[in-house]
Amino acid sequence: MIVARYVLADLLRSQRFIVPVFVYVATLGVLFGGDPGPAPAGWPASALILYPVSAWLAITTANSEDPVARLVTVAAAGGPAVVARGVLAACLLADVVLAAASAIRPVIPIVTHVYPYPAIALLGGGLAHLATATAGTAVGLLCARPVIERVGWSLLAAVTVVVVTGVTPWLPPVGTAVKAIETVPPDLPALAVDAAIGLAMAVVASLLSAASTMARRTPRPR
Amino acid sequence: MDVEPPPTVELSRVEVRYGRAAPVLHELDLQVTPGRPVVVLGGNGSGKSSLLRVVAGCQAPSAGVVTGRPRHVGYVPDRFPSQLRMPARSYLRHLAAMHGSDPSEAPALLDELGFTGGLDVPMVRLSKGNAQKVALVQALCSRAALLVLDEPWSGLDAAAAAALSSRISGAADAAVLVADHTGTAAALPGARVLALVGGRLAPASPPRPMVTITLLGADPLLPHLPADTAVDGDRVVVRVPVADRDALLSWALARGCGVLAVQP
Repeated sequence: MIVARYVLADLLRSQRFIVPVFVYVATLGVLFGGDPGPAPAGWPASALILYPVSAWLAITTANSEDPVARLVTVAAAGGPAVVARGVLAACLLADVVLAAASAIRPVIPIVTHVYPYPAIALLGGGLAHLATATAGTAVGLLCARPVIERVGWSLLAAVTVVVVTGVTPWLPPVGTAVKAIETVPPDLPALAVDAAIGLAMAVVASLLSAASTMARRTPRPR
Repeated sequence: MDVEPPPTVELSRVEVRYGRAAPVLHELDLQVTPGRPVVVLGGNGSGKSSLLRVVAGCQAPSAGVVTGRPRHVGYVPDRFPSQLRMPARSYLRHLAAMHGSDPSEAPALLDELGFTGGLDVPMVRLSKGNAQKVALVQALCSRAALLVLDEPWSGLDAAAAAALSSRISGAADAAVLVADHTGTAAALPGARVLALVGGRLAPASPPRPMVTITLLGADPLLPHLPADTAVDGDRVVVRVPVADRDALLSWALARGCGVLAVQP
């Protein structure tokens, strides 16, 4: 993905990804520091926190490029849909990295005793985090440019959506994934469905984001 | 068979409106064909940049359609952002990859345009002119079948401006749309000059290229010089069409004047 590489290169140079990633790493440190305990340890909490962190990261990724430079990119890459796909790919890559880090954190021996984590538990942990991370990407992409141009409105919209949907236990994919990872052993089919729903939501959000560029019949003057 | 090549890009009844204000572009029709650069003139806020963004495919028109736009477009915005973090070399490599073009051509064209900044420092640190050259190279090295250039000569020195003109003239297989207020674009071979007035395009008579001649000791000749003449101390500054330049120079030299400067 040529556009994804460009988006990631620009994002890494901007350093704006550091704050959300640092917040999440610090959260993992608190939840799994000292004695993480046996599975699921802090996973329900870390999966829930990954939801707003991933939304934040998606907004950062989508808004990272200068708006005028983005026009040049859209013309060069072949339209808003191509650029939206590149942004989506960059966000999903970050989701996979953060979900994998959360899943393997409890089995990395840092200071304390390591509990036995069977493969099924690790897989469940990974899927739960993937579900909340991709759902966060979906929310972030719908709250960022080109859908919402101004970062203040982006923040308010994303916080509202995340708070309302994140604390509803029956609502897939976040509520159900957090619930499913609490049980031992985890409900793998349910978690796989949640991850698939999250991924589908992210893809749909990316398509809507691309469509919003071309559907805006009376745009604001730039 | 000798067939006229089809128009590359065609706009029909394109309208652009911002909020409730009167439309900036109104039922506008335009064809841009390879080998016949279209030059759009117009005052500030006349909608030139909106028109160019619509043609480049990075802004949707409020109504109407654009057909025949190639997938990749070489676009230069009127104000290339000055706050880009990426160094020029990486930026040009990424953009060439998006265009599917050869990134190794960029350094030669940068040299041709007289780029003097660092290729590996963040573009924030480049001067306005050098940043503009990066934007131009991005578009001109793209081999895109459509070039959309918004005020490409702004901020360029004379040598770079000439290099840019010859490069645009050389891209004969690309459809070219240029917004330009310097009058340089009107001199491009095959240029069709249009004026954007009240949201519509109309043929514009291209401004005649003029030249400024500074003469010494020409005070006695003042009554015979053209109307556009100013006296600056012992110097006389005359502005004439390029076509009349040689005649005026030999006429003035024959009457004992000195020529201090001939400038565009």
